[in-house]
Amino acid sequence: MAKLNIFVVLLLLLQMSVAHAQQTQPTIEQLLQEPFLDDYYSNVVHGYEIITDSQKHASRYVGNALNCTNCHLQAGTQKDALPLNVAGMYPKWRAKNGKRNGIGLRIRECFLYSMDGIMPPEDAPEVLAIAAYISYLSQGQVMGVEPEGRGVPTLEDTGYDPNPANGRLVYMEQCASCHGEQGDGIGDVPPVWGLDSYNSGAGMNRIQEAAGFIWANMPLGNGRTLTQQQALDVSAYLNLHLRPADPGQSKFLKLVEDIFN
Amino acid sequence: MISQLLKEATPSFAWRRNPGQWRTELVAGLIGAALVIPQGITFAYLAGMQPEYGLYCAIFVTLFASVLGTSSMMSGPNTAVAILIGTAVLPLAGRGSPVYVDFVFLLCMMVGLIQLLFWLLRAGRIFQYISPAAISGISAGAGFLIVMTALDSILGLSSFSTTFFYEKLYVIASDAMDLVSPYSLGIGLCTIAAGHLGRRYSPRYFLLIALCAGYVSGLLVAFIWPQPVTELEYLGRMPLQWLPLNVPTLNMEYLMISTTLIPYAVAIAFIGLAQSLVIVRELKMETDQDIDLDKEVYAQGVANFLAPFFSSFAGAGSFNRTKVNQRLGARTPLSGIAASGFVLVLITLLGPILTYMPMAAMAGTLFIVGVDMIKWLDIKHYAQVRSELIIYLATFVSIMFFGLATGVVAAVVLSVSVFMLRISQLELNLEEKPSGTVMRIKGALFFASISQLTEEFHRHVDENMTVDLQYTTHIDQSAVDFFSREAAQMAVRGKQLVLLVNARQRQLLNTMGLSGQVTLESLQDNIYNGVSNEKV
Repeated sequence: MAKLNIFVVLLLLLQMSVAHAQQTQPTIEQLLQEPFLDDYYSNVVHGYEIITDSQKHASRYVGNALNCTNCHLQAGTQKDALPLNVAGMYPKWRAKNGKRNGIGLRIRECFLYSMDGIMPPEDAPEVLAIAAYISYLSQGQVMGVEPEGRGVPTLEDTGYDPNPANGRLVYMEQCASCHGEQGDGIGDVPPVWGLDSYNSGAGMNRIQEAAGFIWANMPLGNGRTLTQQQALDVSAYLNLHLRPADPGQSKFLKLVEDIFN
Repeated sequence: MISQLLKEATPSFAWRRNPGQWRTELVAGLIGAALVIPQGITFAYLAGMQPEYGLYCAIFVTLFASVLGTSSMMSGPNTAVAILIGTAVLPLAGRGSPVYVDFVFLLCMMVGLIQLLFWLLRAGRIFQYISPAAISGISAGAGFLIVMTALDSILGLSSFSTTFFYEKLYVIASDAMDLVSPYSLGIGLCTIAAGHLGRRYSPRYFLLIALCAGYVSGLLVAFIWPQPVTELEYLGRMPLQWLPLNVPTLNMEYLMISTTLIPYAVAIAFIGLAQSLVIVRELKMETDQDIDLDKEVYAQGVANFLAPFFSSFAGAGSFNRTKVNQRLGARTPLSGIAASGFVLVLITLLGPILTYMPMAAMAGTLFIVGVDMIKWLDIKHYAQVRSELIIYLATFVSIMFFGLATGVVAAVVLSVSVFMLRISQLELNLEEKPSGTVMRIKGALFFASISQLTEEFHRHVDENMTVDLQYTTHIDQSAVDFFSREAAQMAVRGKQLVLLVNARQRQLLNTMGLSGQVTLESLQDNIYNGVSNEKV
């Protein structure tokens, strides 16, 4: 009888632990209402705050007027808009810097290029918080398998070169009402060129990448209404403008190299 | 009692009455502000906080401590306090995360409350029992910890934790090629070298010289190599506000968890007050300032308690800034008040420039400060007295291996026990007379010092004893019992115990129940007249 009791207790314990493991994680709204959070969830919430309001919560390292959520739409939860549920894809090799990238380095480079700021150290609280938020969003994804709607859609070859002149027409018609004729953004809408926007080392500065994002998501709420050619044209038009220089290039070093060669 | 407390609790503003001194004070405040900015930023780093909190500490803790205090002591961010905050809160939350900041604020409120308790209990004078060797040992140990922390940033290591310092040194040495970033090492070395050279030409401002050299070399590095290559760590933009009001988070969960912080709060309150009071006591001896020690304790307590409400962490008096302040001729708290105002102005002006301050340059200045705190002269100074040397070395070594909090406890325990040993030592003068032995006792007769007396009594078992209590400072119950017991034993052998006492001691001994077998004789009419009238 005693043995049976022990079995029952063990079974109960097992069931409890299984039930615990199957518990879905709390939503951000639930977390925001908790009076006290442990280290992980407080970092998740902090990461969420940084993504949605980078100007306030990550102001140390941000150099322009953008917030993370301007590109990672819906705080990084929208498919085809650079969703952040990608923890399982890292570490991986990237051609951009020619080395193995952990999620930390990827986040730090976002600050350097897209936010046109300073590269935070590896153990900066902001980086750790965003990493926690990314792993929170990635819950349930399979390691090494691309999540659905990762990044932006790759546009097919339309057979025509991107035409910035046509892009200007489309921009003035479709985009200027929110992003401004000078591309400097109005209110919460981010600037798309100029010194307050992402710099020329950012991924968005590649015509293909920006075109995919524009086609899938712009105008906001009416994604996929432009033709792919129109998206490419607008993207080319954006890239005609002045924006902060690529921090990866040091003109001075090039000069020294030229002198010595 | 309450009216006296209220009198201490209100700021006196005594400096109002001396307008001629204001100009000197303001200049001293400006220099103090220039010195405290790098310290605030680096000490915030030691405490695991964002740099702006260190600057708020430099503004608000200095302000409150100076408004309520009575001396020209410069309070504000303090090394040992910052290190202790870091070690206390790090196990509870990730470095610099919002929860971490909440816990630091909670800890600082506790520190303030404990210090106010010290004030209410008039416990400020217990710091007299801590020997200067212990304070030097703590300071040297803190310097060692600073050097080890500064190495992280100078060598460009990402944070990795090791249990003991030599493990870290071993890892660095064995894997230097992969771990050490040449760029930040270069900047750090430039800073240290500039500080070393600058000390020769300007002993007052060499830290600022070092910092500027580090900044310029950082700019040079950034000019040649792009940031993705160097991965240099910069200070970054600081979101500074002029009035950073903040309500510390208080709820059941926080309070439950923060019980683990209480020992650290006690240690921080203790070490903060110890340093501040050592400084204040020095000022009191060296200058003619009208200083009230209890009021200083109160000022520190209130400053640390209010600090979290202004987004800053706890602080204490600073040795180096007070010294500079004194050299510049400051004599009133106005210099501290001025310094906090100037920090605000300077930071607003310098903010954009400081953004690209490399952390390696900051760490370089921190390295210099740390090395300065380990004074070789101190070791030589204390080597003369063995007990002092033991306190110094034991404190230093226990800080090296077990951290600052343990070191503080070791220092306190050791200095109190040395003090105890000293006080329980009796000075016994024996004189053989034809009628027996005369023993003169100098010191306090209490339970701890009786054993020494017992030995001496047993050595002269078969003689009449006359004990002269003229120079005895204190007699407690166990001493009285001892005399009664000895007298009984001697009476068995037909010997006599005589105590030479004055009128007050006679009354005291009788009320404490001295047995009738002990003969009490007044000093005036005793048979050994020659003894008591002798000058000793």
